[in-house]
Order: sequence, then C-alpha cells, then structure tokens
Amino acid sequence: MRKLLKPREREQMLGTAYAFPMGIWFTLFFTIPLGIIVLYSFLKRGLYGGVEWEFTLDAYKQMFNPSFGRVVIRTLWISVLATLGCILIAIPCGYAMAKSKYQTVLLFLIIIPFWTNSLIRIYAWISILSTEGFVNSLLIKLGLIDQGLKLIYNNGAVVLVLIYMYLPFAILPLFTTIDKFDFSLLDAARDLGASKLEAIIKVMFPNIKSGLSTAFIFTFIPIFGAYTVPLLVGGKDSTMIGNIIVDQVSKTRNWPLASAFSMVLTFISLVGVFWMLYNGKREQMQSKKTTQQSLEQNIKKHHLIRGEK
Amino acid sequence: MHKSPTIATALTILLVSIFLISCQKDSPSQGKLYLYNWTYYTPDAIVEQFEKETGIDVIIDNFASNEEMFAKVMAGGNEGYDIIFPSSDYTSIMIKLDLLEKLDHKKIPNLKYIDPLIKEKASYDRNMDYSVPYFMGSSGIAVDTSKAPEGYARDWSIFSDERMDGRMSMLDDMREVLGAALKHLGYSGNTTNEQELSQAKDLIVTEWKPNLVKFDSESFAKSFSRGEFWVSHCYPENVFAEIPKDQWDTIDFFIPPEGGMMYIDNMVIPKGAKNSEAAHAFINFIHNPKVYAQFLDEFSFPPTTNTTASKYMKNHSFAFTSEDMSNSDNIMDLGQDLEKYNTLWQIIRYEP
Repeated sequence: MRKLLKPREREQMLGTAYAFPMGIWFTLFFTIPLGIIVLYSFLKRGLYGGVEWEFTLDAYKQMFNPSFGRVVIRTLWISVLATLGCILIAIPCGYAMAKSKYQTVLLFLIIIPFWTNSLIRIYAWISILSTEGFVNSLLIKLGLIDQGLKLIYNNGAVVLVLIYMYLPFAILPLFTTIDKFDFSLLDAARDLGASKLEAIIKVMFPNIKSGLSTAFIFTFIPIFGAYTVPLLVGGKDSTMIGNIIVDQVSKTRNWPLASAFSMVLTFISLVGVFWMLYNGKREQMQSKKTTQQSLEQNIKKHHLIRGEK
Repeated sequence: MHKSPTIATALTILLVSIFLISCQKDSPSQGKLYLYNWTYYTPDAIVEQFEKETGIDVIIDNFASNEEMFAKVMAGGNEGYDIIFPSSDYTSIMIKLDLLEKLDHKKIPNLKYIDPLIKEKASYDRNMDYSVPYFMGSSGIAVDTSKAPEGYARDWSIFSDERMDGRMSMLDDMREVLGAALKHLGYSGNTTNEQELSQAKDLIVTEWKPNLVKFDSESFAKSFSRGEFWVSHCYPENVFAEIPKDQWDTIDFFIPPEGGMMYIDNMVIPKGAKNSEAAHAFINFIHNPKVYAQFLDEFSFPPTTNTTASKYMKNHSFAFTSEDMSNSDNIMDLGQDLEKYNTLWQIIRYEP
C-alpha cells in the first residue's frame, strides 16, 4: 500500500510542483548561459572574436596585469564608497518612513524613479552637473563662484550618481526591517540611561542587522558591475570592471577574457549572497533560541529549582 | 461534451489558407532583398525608389558596430542577408575568411563613377572583386570657435594645448587614438613596429591625456554641442547632427594635415546570399550619380566616393573633402598584431 503523506510533506511536494516552471526558466535562461560563460573563460580566444576549442588558462593569466589591477582596485573603492553612501542615507530614510503616517505615499515616491529609464536619469545628471549645468549656473547666479566648477567627468561624479541610482535598493529592505522593529525597546533603553544615539546604535542596529546586510548586498553587487554610469559621467580614469568586459567583447574581440572578468563578478556576488544567507540563518537560530527555547528553559529551570526546594 | 471535429478542420483550413494568401502577397515575383546596414545609414527615400523601379521588396536589418555584425555573420547569419555593409578592416577579414561572393562587374556598370582615390586607399580589394565602396569618410577634430582660445594649432598637437585643459575629448577607440599619434609622429597608422607604437603611446600619455577630459565615443557630440567640450576628436556627421545649421559656422572641423585615420564602408555580398541578382542591381542603383547624390545630401556628406554625384547634389558645403584625406590611412585589419595595440591601449586607458 502507498504510504500516506503527512500534510507537511504534501505541502512540500506541492511547493516543488509550483516552483517547477520557474526552475525550468532559470535553468534555460540563467544557468545554461552562465555555464557557457564559465566554459568560454577556459578556452582559447579566436583571432576574430569567438573562441577556439582548446583548453587554456590564458584568460585568467591575462587578468593579472597592472593595468587591470588598477581597474579592479578602483572598482572596489568606488563600490564600497557608493554602497556606504547608500546605506548611510537609507538608514534615516527607512527610520523616518517606518515612523511616518504616510508610509504608502513615501514608498510610492521611492518607487517612482523606476518609471524612467536609467539612461535618461543618467543624462539628467549630466545636465545637472555639467560645467554649464544647473548646479553651476545656480552657484554663479548666487555669486558664490565666478567660474563653473568641474563637477562631472570624475570619480566623485561616478560615486554620486551611483548612490542616486541604487539608493532605493538600500531604502526598501531597511525600511521593512525597521518597520518590524519594536520601538518601545528604544524607550526602554532610554529609561535605563542610554542616550538617544546610544539607544539607536546599541539596541536598534543589532535588531535590523538582516536589513543592513540585505541593503549592502542589493547595492554593492550591482554597483560592482556598473557599466553605464562610469561610461557616461566618468572621466578619463573612471573605467570599472563592467567597462572592461564590454570593451573586451565589442572592441578587442577577446571573449575568454571578458568571460573571465564576468566570473570574477559572479564569484563576488556569490560570496555576498552566501554571506547574507549565513547571516540570516544564524540570526534565525539566535532569535529562536532567545525567544522560545531559552524562555522555556528558564521556566523549567526555575520550576526545577523551586521543586527541588 | 464533445465538439464536432468538422469545426476544427474547417478552422484549420481557413487559417492555413489565410496564411498562404498572406505569404503570396508578401513575395512578388521579383523576390526580396535583405540588407544588413549600420543604423541610420540607409535613406528610406532611396530604398522606396529602388522598390518602385524594380519591384523588389527590400528588408533592412541594422547593426551598431562592425563587431556586432561580424559576430552575427560568424554565427551563420550571413545566409539571411544579400548585402552587408562592413568597414574596410572587416571587409578584408571577410575576404580572408572566404565569406564573400565574387562580384560580377558586368552587372554593376556604375562602378565607373567610383573615385580612383578610393582604389588607392582600398588596398585589401583594389579591383573591387568582392566589395564596392559605399562611403569613404574620416574622423577629425571639431573645435568650438566661440569657446576655444585664439591661435590653437590646426593639427593633432591641439591636444597638447594646456589652455584647453579638461575641455578636450578623444574617441574611445584604440585604432583612432593610437593612429592619430602615429600619424602625428610621421608613421603609418597601421604600423606594427613596436618602437613606433611605443613612441605613440608615450606621446598620448605624457602630452595629450593630461589635457583630456575623457575618451568618449558615446556622447561626445552631445557634450560638444552643449559647450562642455571645446575640442572633440570625432566623426563629423555625429557632431553636425547635434548642432542647428545656423550655428555650423562656429564649428571649425578639420582633418589634420599630417593625416588621420579614415574608413571605407563597403557593400559586399556574403556567400550563400539568396538573391545575388537583386544585390547586384541594388549596388548598381546606389552608384547611379543621381541616386548617390540623394544619399550624400541626406547626411551632408561630401562626394568622396562617387565624385560625379556632386553635379546633382543640393548641398555644397562640407565638413571635409577627399583632398583632406590624402595623407590619411585607412584602418586595416592587423590580425595577430592587433594585440600590440591592445596592450598599449590598456596602459593608456586604465593606468592613471
């Protein structure tokens, strides 16, 4: 006779069935292309683009050269700076939104920029920052400067525009975690003698850790692979890894090298995602322990001690 | 409940017949001609005129770079097209790889109008066995005279001019920029001599790059027209397209006298083309001087390729002429040696 499935097992089976179309979609259009990139990165480059079917580590060897090294280091510091900028702005924003009466409106306002194509928004920044742009003409009108400042075509402009582009990705996860946070804990901390800032740092931050790590991943990974922003608002020394990948495919015809650089990006993203998953799991375990198990244990202990008496 | 099968059969027959009728409608007896050209490079009026005169249906597909076109051709896409429009370096690659069909000159009598200067520059196919020039043009330098200081040099050394520090851009293209430096030093723009190349790199890194705001092939025309860039190493058609005609006299465009890098875009028939007859007819049609004049007028191009066409042109003021290009070098395919350029370009572009 067939074994009857427990309700929980049946639910799991159903879950797998529901996930099936999605699974096929991802295998076809995500895993297989990624597999092709992995494969290409280990093949010999074709003279006129494409690859030759010969195994070699040339692409990875080519990556280790001082010119590329500088680009990788530049990409790292630009990404770290832009990510930190995003998070530092996003924390007070998320806090204000969680506290606000107009949450839906504010959420809406955060999402509105996505209605416009990102390229158009970058071009808007070009007209804001350019030497004859809005900022400079305003400053000149106010009499603060008499010559346009060079605000664009440098790495500062790249960081600024990147922060603008990815800020919503930091605000949304932070808002959701801060929204779940029990604000009475802050009052409790104040009652116990903490200053306002101390209460936020020592009580709120540990409780919104998962939101912080999600915000970090959601902003850092796309910024690390950014391509259009450094291309359009960057200067002569603003090349990032994303630009190298495009150049290798479209100008130098070195597909294996482009694939190898893509592998670096994928690897860094994977590390980030695993770190996030690990953090989430640990937090779950901890919270379970603190809330349920430890409470039960405490009660049991208490009773036992009393019972022994 | 069971639906009767007759309804389904009737529906199928109906659908199939609609499909067949629509197919028939799409293919007149003269057949179809598939073109694969650069974006914004095939004037609609000319195509319509060709369709009217010959009854051949023309279908156009576009590409944005030679590399994109070539990747598609290598993936087997050549069979879908009857004429492709590659630049000279890719034309020579396609000839080398035996991807092109030999042309029948008897079917293209209008070849006689093609300027002999082109034959001199087109060293990859001097006799037009495989390719017919579509347009010969060049990059050059555009100067915004309303902003630039007086007495700037009208040659490549303009990029050493510290008075315009941070207001000058060069193309983000290794063959164009290294080629410019090579020509300025008096070498060939297609050299493979490592010493010459390294001198060119030094010139760019020490003299030119410090004054540049960026290497830009994407939005230089917009930045130039806004007054952000005063000097741009550019393709003139992009810059002039962004600026209203009445302001054209404030732009000083020139090809440096020591020569620069130029290009020839060609028409070629790929092997496996299904309608080679129509392809020959189209190539011949384009080089009819009256038709070619329309093409040039559309883009304000000078008559570099088909000089006879100038008789029929409405526009007579050009950014440059054939003579300006007499010292210029055509960008050629360098095969393995391209890696030498690439290594230097990485230093120029990626190291501050």
